[in-house]
Amino acid sequence: MSSPDASGRVVLHIESLSKTFPAQKALDDVDLELRSGEVHCLLGQNGSGKSTLIKILAGYHAPDPGSAAVLDGRSVVLGSPTIRDHGVAFIHQDLGLVPDLDVVDNLALGNRYAGRWWVSERTERTAATRLLDRFDLDLDPAAPLSAATPGEQTMVAIVRAVAGADTAPAVLVLDEPTASLPQHQVEQLFGLVRRLRDQGTAVLYVTHRLREVFDIGDRVTVLRDGRRIATRPVADVTSDGLVELIIGRRPTAFAPSVPTASVDVLLRADEVVGEQVDDFSIDVRAGEIVGITGLIGSGYDQVLGIVYGARPRTSGEVEVAGRRLDPGRPDRAIASGVAYAPADRKRLSTIQSWTIGENLTLPRLPSAGPARWLGQRRERREVEPWLKRLDVVPDDPDRLLSLLSGGNQQKVVLARWLRVDAQVLLLDEPTGGVDAGAKASIYRALAEIASQGRAVVLSSSDAEELCAVCDRVLIMRNGAVTSVLDKDELSVARIVSETIRDSVAESLEGPTSDDD
Amino acid sequence: MTIDAQTESRADDVPALDADDRDARRSPSRILGALRPARYSGLLLLAVFVAFFSIRLPETFPTSSTITSIAGDQSVTLILALGLLVTLAVGQFDLSAAQNLGMSAVLCGALMVKQDLSPVLAVTITLLVGVAVGVVNAILVAGVGIDSLIATLGMSSVLLAVTSLVSNYQFVGPVPEGFQGIANAELFGLPVVAVYAIGLCFLVWYALEHSPAGRRAYAVGASPDAARLAGVRTVRYVAGSFVVTALFASVAGVLVTAKIGSVAPTLGPAYLLPSFAACFLATTQVKPGRFNVWGTVIAVVLLATGVKGLQLMGNQLWVTDLFNGLALLVAVGAAVLSGRRTRRRRRRAS
Repeated sequence: MSSPDASGRVVLHIESLSKTFPAQKALDDVDLELRSGEVHCLLGQNGSGKSTLIKILAGYHAPDPGSAAVLDGRSVVLGSPTIRDHGVAFIHQDLGLVPDLDVVDNLALGNRYAGRWWVSERTERTAATRLLDRFDLDLDPAAPLSAATPGEQTMVAIVRAVAGADTAPAVLVLDEPTASLPQHQVEQLFGLVRRLRDQGTAVLYVTHRLREVFDIGDRVTVLRDGRRIATRPVADVTSDGLVELIIGRRPTAFAPSVPTASVDVLLRADEVVGEQVDDFSIDVRAGEIVGITGLIGSGYDQVLGIVYGARPRTSGEVEVAGRRLDPGRPDRAIASGVAYAPADRKRLSTIQSWTIGENLTLPRLPSAGPARWLGQRRERREVEPWLKRLDVVPDDPDRLLSLLSGGNQQKVVLARWLRVDAQVLLLDEPTGGVDAGAKASIYRALAEIASQGRAVVLSSSDAEELCAVCDRVLIMRNGAVTSVLDKDELSVARIVSETIRDSVAESLEGPTSDDD
Repeated sequence: MTIDAQTESRADDVPALDADDRDARRSPSRILGALRPARYSGLLLLAVFVAFFSIRLPETFPTSSTITSIAGDQSVTLILALGLLVTLAVGQFDLSAAQNLGMSAVLCGALMVKQDLSPVLAVTITLLVGVAVGVVNAILVAGVGIDSLIATLGMSSVLLAVTSLVSNYQFVGPVPEGFQGIANAELFGLPVVAVYAIGLCFLVWYALEHSPAGRRAYAVGASPDAARLAGVRTVRYVAGSFVVTALFASVAGVLVTAKIGSVAPTLGPAYLLPSFAACFLATTQVKPGRFNVWGTVIAVVLLATGVKGLQLMGNQLWVTDLFNGLALLVAVGAAVLSGRRTRRRRRRAS
């Protein structure tokens, strides 16, 4: 598409882009310029207008009149899906894959099969394998996509978008592609992004992780409250400087909770075995925040569900405050004071088509009187203080949950379990898809929960997060806990190197300690 | 067509509105939202029907006999629809309910006429058999794990066979005069069966919309996985819903027998469409997007009024089927379209 000497040429230029929704101004006079051969990071809290900007680019929303856009020297109409025909490719947070279909079919969706008139299974499989090999993806092309981990699914979506054209796309928009990826796959993805960049693609990279900006970004644009706050070369900014731009004030360092010396073991798991997990044992004391991490496939993202009873446990014992927990019985787990928030917020931890209030009260409904009458006014009264306590915005119990940002949805989930007075909170990726500001308030909430003498166990692929909040981190490999890092040993480098120690040989890009 | 119009419909139920909300109400989108008649469009349509038929048929339509006949005929459909709401709320279909009604009606009649059993005993046996059908459905769907459409379709055919066996393809009846009284006696100028139906409406309204069990049932219907992880015993709710639906179908069958005295063996299937149509039409009314009791009541009355008017205008019998079928298509079409509009609004808002 563009030769290397043309790098720095402006591929996409957007001018005075505004978007007004009935309730708020989502974008206010935003300019954006993407040059070929650059990775342009887009930063901002949820609600800052990032998503709106991308949705306008992709043609889901029409902008307010008065904006102009020039793509490759030609003027284009924003808010129309035809932009995809001009070499603009999108990876959205919702990957748009079909879990029931196999990898071959998913790759062919949106592109085409290798055969034109006759789809031969063997030819297609060979073509797909070749494509996957090109991007270093070790996947069985004939297996249904649902068998792949979220990380692998993200990679399939990216491969599909990139493989669509013979040449590299002029603009590639990546909307938080690493939200569910472990470090070594993030490295692989970055390798791919750099390759595309070097071929002249302008990459618009949306993320919440500041470290990634410094890893891969050439320039960075920060949005706040729908306005463009700054566009700077990455070399000219510091991490603290970026945070200040994002939240509009100086960052207050998150103070990790002081582990209260307690001897009461609240949660004990002993040799728990389940899918992807061969041997998991843990003792969690009151007041502790324990992290679990590992590579995708190591079982770190499955084990909490198995302990809770969301996924089948084939053997092993789980005890909560001395009481045994039956496998596969979430209702009994809740009754014993255990709460679980799965990573898949949309499908598993909330009911998106319900209101905030209904989601919050579901585990224990506020019924009154001998008839167990469930009245709307009483429910509202019951819910409101919890929304205030966890700072949910908006704090209207009758608002549909799907209208909230990821961070606020997660706060509703936390409020739900605090309301039933859960003693042990099991959280998978508690800040997945949550912006920097909301992350800090979720961390604060977790620290407060622990300081009340409850226990928190969280699984996360974000080493920074684990360092920031955990008193102890368990690292899993091949279904078993292989090492435990205590508070004074915690560092991003240490977590990452422990995580991938055995798999360095397998992964092609192995540099691990250059990211802290 | 804004986010506001969406929240409007829910905010209406809440008495306390803060100042912000009241100001926002005056914006054009708010007013449009408030005027948007979707939530009670059924009542509006009903008024149009009544006005139209009253003008066209001033002699026959606006009479008390029309009201009595609609109330009497539709009470049974309504009771069946109330039962169906319970399975629909947990996200399942019970296609066998209508035939369960037909089988119960024939069985109840046959027990009294052919076996000379006392009405009390006949009704008890009938209800037990009806509930047993529900238990089998529950085992097939919640235990074995057959898709509810397939399981109840099969059950429906089995029940059709049982009905034919019991009736020997003949009318069953007439049942004793005293027994007919339990449905046809008059109370407040209405056949007593209509009073039963209204009573059951309040019961189901409480159970589904204002009891913890009902809320959990809706949770199972909205997202079985999320409900299970929030501590809802989903299998139990699915199983229970089939038993409840079967009980309502069976009660409706007994009441039909009492009401018409002589039961045709082909009675059941005629109830399938109107009752399902009413339930789906209900998802566009009162509480859009949810199966709800008062929406169902509106839908049943609306369908019945339309059919009655068309029949009085001298149309053939096939008009009934045509009207019910078209109403179902329009209702579900409207529900799908309004759902799409909601999604679009959500997308804009995020």
